[in-house]
Parts: sequence; C-alpha cells; structure tokens
Amino acid sequence: MKSETLARSIVILVFVTLLTWLGLAASDRMDILNITASMPERGGWQPGDFTARVGEPLLVHLTSHDVVHGFAIGQMEGFEAEVLPGKVTEVELVFSEPGTYTYYCTRWCGPNHWRMRGTITVIGEGKPEAEVVTQPLYLRLGIDIDAEHPAETIPPGKPSAQEGIGLWGMVPSTYAAEMLLRSSSPAELFIRMRSDSGLERVSDQAIWDLVALAYWNLTSEAALEEGQRLFSENCAACHGVSGQGDGVFSGQLGEDTHQAAIPDFTDPARMLGASPALLQGKIVRGGMGTGMPYWGTIFTDEQTWMLVDYLWSMQFDYPIDEGSKE
Amino acid sequence: MGCGVFAVQAINLRRNPILNFLLVNRWPQLAIRIITLAGFGIVILGGLVGTPVGSQNISIVLLWIAWWGLLILFAVPILGRGWCNICPIPLVGEWLQQGTVLGPVKILRGISLHRPWPKRWRNIWIQNAFFLGLAVFSTVILTNPVVTSLAVLALLLIATGMSLIFQKRAFCRYVCPVSGFIGLYSQAAPVEVRVIDTQICRDHPEKTCLTGDENGYGCPWGLYPAAITKNVNCGVCMECLRSCPYENMAVNIRPFGKGLFNPRERKLDEAFKSFIMLGGALVYSVVMLGPWGELKLAAYLIGSPAWLVFAAALIFSVVVLLPGSLYLGIRFSGQRLTAFQLRREFINQSYALVPLGLAAWIAFSLSFIFTNISYVVSGIGDPFGWGWNLFGIADHAWRPYLSTVTPYLQTVVLLAGLGYTIYTSVKIARETSHDQSSLPLIGLSTALAMGHLWVLIG
Amino acid sequence: MKPAAVLDKKYLILMGIAMAVIAFAPLPDRRTEPETVTVQIQAESYAFSPGIVEVEKGDTVVLELTSMDVVHGLYLDGYDLSVTSDPGQTARLTFLADETGSFRLRCSTTCGALHPFMIGQLKVGRNDLLWRALAAMLVIGIYGVWSVRRASD
Repeated sequence: MKSETLARSIVILVFVTLLTWLGLAASDRMDILNITASMPERGGWQPGDFTARVGEPLLVHLTSHDVVHGFAIGQMEGFEAEVLPGKVTEVELVFSEPGTYTYYCTRWCGPNHWRMRGTITVIGEGKPEAEVVTQPLYLRLGIDIDAEHPAETIPPGKPSAQEGIGLWGMVPSTYAAEMLLRSSSPAELFIRMRSDSGLERVSDQAIWDLVALAYWNLTSEAALEEGQRLFSENCAACHGVSGQGDGVFSGQLGEDTHQAAIPDFTDPARMLGASPALLQGKIVRGGMGTGMPYWGTIFTDEQTWMLVDYLWSMQFDYPIDEGSKE
Repeated sequence: MGCGVFAVQAINLRRNPILNFLLVNRWPQLAIRIITLAGFGIVILGGLVGTPVGSQNISIVLLWIAWWGLLILFAVPILGRGWCNICPIPLVGEWLQQGTVLGPVKILRGISLHRPWPKRWRNIWIQNAFFLGLAVFSTVILTNPVVTSLAVLALLLIATGMSLIFQKRAFCRYVCPVSGFIGLYSQAAPVEVRVIDTQICRDHPEKTCLTGDENGYGCPWGLYPAAITKNVNCGVCMECLRSCPYENMAVNIRPFGKGLFNPRERKLDEAFKSFIMLGGALVYSVVMLGPWGELKLAAYLIGSPAWLVFAAALIFSVVVLLPGSLYLGIRFSGQRLTAFQLRREFINQSYALVPLGLAAWIAFSLSFIFTNISYVVSGIGDPFGWGWNLFGIADHAWRPYLSTVTPYLQTVVLLAGLGYTIYTSVKIARETSHDQSSLPLIGLSTALAMGHLWVLIG
Repeated sequence: MKPAAVLDKKYLILMGIAMAVIAFAPLPDRRTEPETVTVQIQAESYAFSPGIVEVEKGDTVVLELTSMDVVHGLYLDGYDLSVTSDPGQTARLTFLADETGSFRLRCSTTCGALHPFMIGQLKVGRNDLLWRALAAMLVIGIYGVWSVRRASD
C-alpha cells in the first residue's frame, strides 16, 4: 500500500502547511494594535481606549467591520485616516507629550456617529498637554449657555458687510475690539451702536450692516472656508447644509436625547441674541440631553472660532470684494 | 419523431487515451479533491477569523462568487454533476468510511456502521426542504462570512456524520441541498456515464460495479451502473469505470437536454425540485437585483414580520403557486384525463421547466458574478481583511466587468432556455399523446421568462 | 397518423427569419428636445430612491446623490462613472445621456451586508433590447402553442 501511504502523507502535508502558514501569519499581527470600527450601536471603536508611551511609535491597524469610518485624534490637525470596510489602514502614532487624547470617527456612520469616540492615555515624561492653560471664553465670562437668548431686536433686512464698508470710517475703533465682539451678541452690538451719538444719523439697516462688517473683520476668507468645511463634515448631517436644522439625521437622533428641536441657524431672532462666546460654549461643551455632542476635546480653539465665524455667514451677507476690505 | 437537428451520435470520451487516464486513474481526482477541500477549509476559516465584511472576506468571495460562478455558469450546464466528482464535502466522511485516502479496498475497513438509508427517504424531498430552508435565509448566508462559514462547516459535519452511520454517499444522494438541483439540471447536460453493452453486464456474475473490487468501489451513489438511464442520481464519480473489468462503461458527450426526453423514472419530488429552482431564481432576482430596498431588508431582517412575509411568499410561490397553476392548467386544458393521467402529465411537464430553470439561474448569476468578480482578485490578495497583500493584488479596486455585455448574454440565455423548455414540453406531451398538456406550460414559461427578463434588463 | 415534428426545417427557417426581423428591424428614434434633467437621489438602507430614473437620449443628466445613513457611492453601468456621498453632503454627477438602454446604478462604497445588492436603474430612452427580447419570447411561445394545435388537429 505504498501509494496509500503517499496519499495520506500528501493530505497531512497540505493541511499542516496550510495551518502553519496561517498560524505564522496570524502571529505576525501580535505586535500591532488592531482597532476595529463599527457603527456605535454595534460597538463603535474596539478597543475603546488604549495606552501609548511618549516618543514611542505605535503601529496601528485600522479596519471597519461595516461601513466607511474615519480616524482622527482630537486637537491634532491635519491627521485623518480613512477606515474602510474590510480593508486595513496602517498608521503610526507618535505622541510627544503625555496626557489624555480623544480619538473619534470623522465620517458620518449613522445618527449616533458622534458617539464614536475613544480615549488614548499617553504616559511618559513631558509637560502634560491636555491641561487647559486658559479657560474657554464662555467660562471666563460665566455665560449660562443653556439659558434662552432671544435677540432684543432684529434687522429689517439681511445685514450686508459689503454695504457697511462705506460707513466704517464713522465707527469708533472700540467696536472693532475682539473681546467686545466675542462677548456680545450682534443684537447687543447693534443696541450699543444705535445709542452711540456718532451714529445717530445712520439708518437701522446701515447699523446692522456695520455690525455684519465688524464680525467679518474678525475673520478671513480662509477661516470661513475652513469653518464651512468643518461644518459640512461635522455638523451638517443634523443641522443641515444650510443650517436650517434639516439635516438627514434631524428626524432620528438617538432615543435617549430629548429630541429638542434643532435650532435654525438662519433665524435672526434666535441667532442674533447669541454671542460668539455663547456659541463657542455650545460647541465645546455640547448641549446636555439635546443630542448635541461636545467638541471640546476634538476641535482646537481656533477651529471652534472658525465654526462660529462661519455660523455668522448664515445671518450676514458676507461675500465681499477682497479689494474693498480695509 | 423526426428531429434532424438534434440527431447527433454520442461520443465516448474514453476513446481519447489522455482523457481516459485522467478519468480512470485515482490520483487526478484525489489531487483536485484535496485542493477543493483546502479551498473549503479556507472558506470555513475565513468566515471565522476574517473580517465580517463579506465582499472583503475570502469565504464569501471564494464560495459565492468564484465557486458559485464556476458551478452555475460552467460545471452544471456543461458537466452536469461534474462538481460532485470533485466535491470535498463528503470527502473526509468517505475516508473514514472506507478506511483509505486513495482507495480502493475490497473490504471497507473504515469506522462506519454502513446502515442502509431508510427506504422512506429514498427520494429528494429532504433535499427540496433543505434547499428551501436555506433559501429563506439566503441573503444573510450570501453576505455574512460567519454564517457562510458555519453553513459550510455544518454541511461538512453532516456529511461526515452520515458517512459514519450510513452506507456510501447517502448524504450526497438524499440530503445535500446542492446535490438536489445539480442532479435535476444534470439531465440537460451534454455529459453522461452510461453502459456500452448491457449484455456484458448481464453475463458478468461478480457485478463488480455494484460490489467493488481492487480497482474501484461499488457505486457510491447506490446505483446499478448498467441500469443508469438518467443523470439525476449518477455522481459521475468514475468508480464504475474503474471497477468494470470489461471497460464497458462510457463517458459520453451527448446533445444538450437529451436526458429530458427519457420517459422513465419521472418523479414528483424531482418535479417539485424544478419548481423550487425556477421559482427561487425568479424570487432572488426580484429581491436581490431589483430596485426595491424594502424587499431586500425584508429578506435580510430574519425574524422580523417583513421577513416572515417574505419567507412565506417565497415558499408559497414555489410550492403552491407555480406548481398549482400548472396543475390546474393541465386539469382544464380541455382533455379527458383520469386522476392518474393528470398526475403523470403534471410530473412530465414539470421536467420541461429544467432548461428554463437552468437558464434563469445562469441569467440571475450573470448579474452579480461579473459585477463582483473584482472582489475575487482583492480577496485572494487579502483573504481575511487583515491587511495582507499577497501577490500585490489586494488593492485591486471594485469595478463591474462586462456590465454592458451582460444584458445581451442574459437575453440569449433566457431565450434559449425558453425555446428549449417549450420544445421539451411539446415533445414530452407527445409521449402520452396528450398534446394539450403543454399549453399551460408554454403559457407559464413564456410569462415567467418575460417577467424575469424585465427584472434583469428592464 | 404520425404527428408533425416539433421542429421541422421549413418552420425553423421561418422562425429564424422572424427572429432576425425582431432582432434587427430598424425602429424609429424617439426624438425629444434635449433637456437638463436634475434628479435627486437619496441613498439609504441598500436602496436608491427613486430606484428608477428615466431620461431621454441627449439629455444632460445631473444626479444629486445624498446619503441618508452611511457613506454610499453610486456607480453607473455603461457610462463607467461614479461618485461618493457622505451623509448629508450632496454629491453631483453630471453627464450627457448619449447611450440608450437601461443601466444599473450600483453602490460603490461598502455600506453594509447587502451592499452588493444596492441597485437602482437609469433608463435612457427606449430599451430596445428589452422590447425585442420580449417580442422574441412571445413569438417562441406562440410557435409552441401553434405546434400543439397543429399536432392535435
């Protein structure tokens, strides 16, 4: 039965080879941190938190178990990895400072997308990065961001920054102070300007145009563009591309939220009563129980302000000839 | 009955010495079966350890695109039960049952009880039920690697377990859900294993094709090879070629569909199989390939009320609606038929649906095989979705192939299937001189073919 | 009496001619003024809605794809075009519909288990292949009925 022995040997050889090869290949994965992404209701990030050491490169394999996700680390600009279903994206993470970092999903993967966040604990020598050196403005001002903030007055027509340019020379320079603009709502600014004796002869609409211009002067084309990008990637799915609160998920926010009506960013009565600092607070802290996520660990301070600046472009006519800007 | 077009003589492939060697020698078959076993091993493993994303997991890609594509587009229409010849599912069981890997042995030394299969179940009703049972879960099995993996593993375990209890390939012949339809459609295939001269068999006292000898096993499918008149139950395993001392068994090439005109051994279980298969292809096409998302979700959300409706509708249409309309059609076809004749006409006419059913499966499969064949490339490059890049092909992007040609292929296939079905129907009806029995079948098959085409290319 | 053959040469030739006519007979063009057609397509839960989009040959088609749940893509058979939409962010695909027929829209970004079966249709003008094929099937069916009648007469 020589041939029978040969046949048996071949069978054993084939399957032992196959399993050995597979075993070796699988063990290769041991040094790598494998992170899988699924929709939050199916588990989100696995693992949900991990540890890294300062200065030591960490090799991470990212893969998705269902739909397209994205991987980014909060407050680290310019780094984003696609996490594709069944495909592996290899990234190398190096942290220069210890602290606690948030990593999050960057691609909308369902109404609960924003819940898809994890924590990286970075240990080792160095000055802790996560400590907030200065508190955000809304905290320093002690604004109650959950309070109602109706606009005391609203403009007769949509204020236009372009229209305000011709009158800007009449405006005292105090109105251009960043601190004042960030801490007052456009309606408050309007009321102050209105009562300013130097502007007595200017019409209400013209004052509103000046208000629009004042906020425009705080920002730039580039910042508005970046703000728009941040808005469409992170906010539009609920708030709507136009900001009217009609995003694709507006009707199906999680059941545990109060389903508070999503604000209409184009509504002057609602928006013009809010100061940039208040809006910053809402973005940074999130609206407890309303389904609005907190972005404090994700956006940098600068990014938050760009978003706020972009929100004003829904109230004011911002397209403005670069040449005519002072 | 004059039929000049199809009067082609059968050609025995064994006259070619190379083919004869490949068919009769045990090694080529064993080698291929070891490869297919390894392939199924990878399918099982892939589902268990790989990514749950079906299109990137070798288990789905290998089984439902590569294997299924080869099976339905090539193996079944051209080779009939050719797949059964190299199927690895019963292989481990056979090794244990026979006690050898290469074989053969005259006295089986394996560890099986060798019980005969119960008489009551010597038909394909179990296969019909098994197939339908899987069909209602098909969208999940088809897309979910773990489920695919467990389903294949279950088949392997059932086959192995049955080999330890029963004789021969009882699993293949009476239980395997795939075997049932391959057998039915193998009747249309242009390949058959047949005896050359029955007189030699009658004069052969040992009947080694039944009992086996040192060259080959007695027919593992439980047939008496000299009496094979139809392909349905012959697994083309080639054992009778080996065990026959007179080289009296032939592997013939014959005209397409010839096996359908054999009036012997037409059975109700096989008649129902033809409805289950044709109906299944139509329902799948509507659900999976149509533009109706609710249907897809209904078929996918197992256990939901919508799914229960889907499952009930699927079973109702293939078990009641289609056969019922043919039955009533023949009943009211304006002929005087006794109850026995009515039943016989119904069974006979059901066999005429074989070409259309096969065409429907080919047309249905064409829609997704070439569309998704690029997954086979990337799947081989990264079988488990672990980020491998074997042969540098893992990043091959998804892209549908032949999508402009496919509608024409589907049209030709369905037209050919319909034509052959109608031809078969008329011819079968003439066997009993109840010509009008084919009228309802002609109407039914024309309507179904038109509907199917509309779903596929409309 | 011996019944007539199911297929005899005379009738086979006749069938052949009938099939050739059905396959190749010229059909008049359905002339329409070219328009720009904008279609909003929502992608959600393995379906495009509307699932069927109909335009005329020569139209400029703007497909506006909006995902409603997860990232979806749209690949258009025949035209070999594709576009991807993140939820809430509409993506546009503009092209000239110069090929007549029925083309499948397929999701091109893995969006879950049934992703390979997320299929819609773009119909440009009249689907000649379908109508010719249906006519051919009808002729085959009629031929079958007729051969039964011929035998039983």
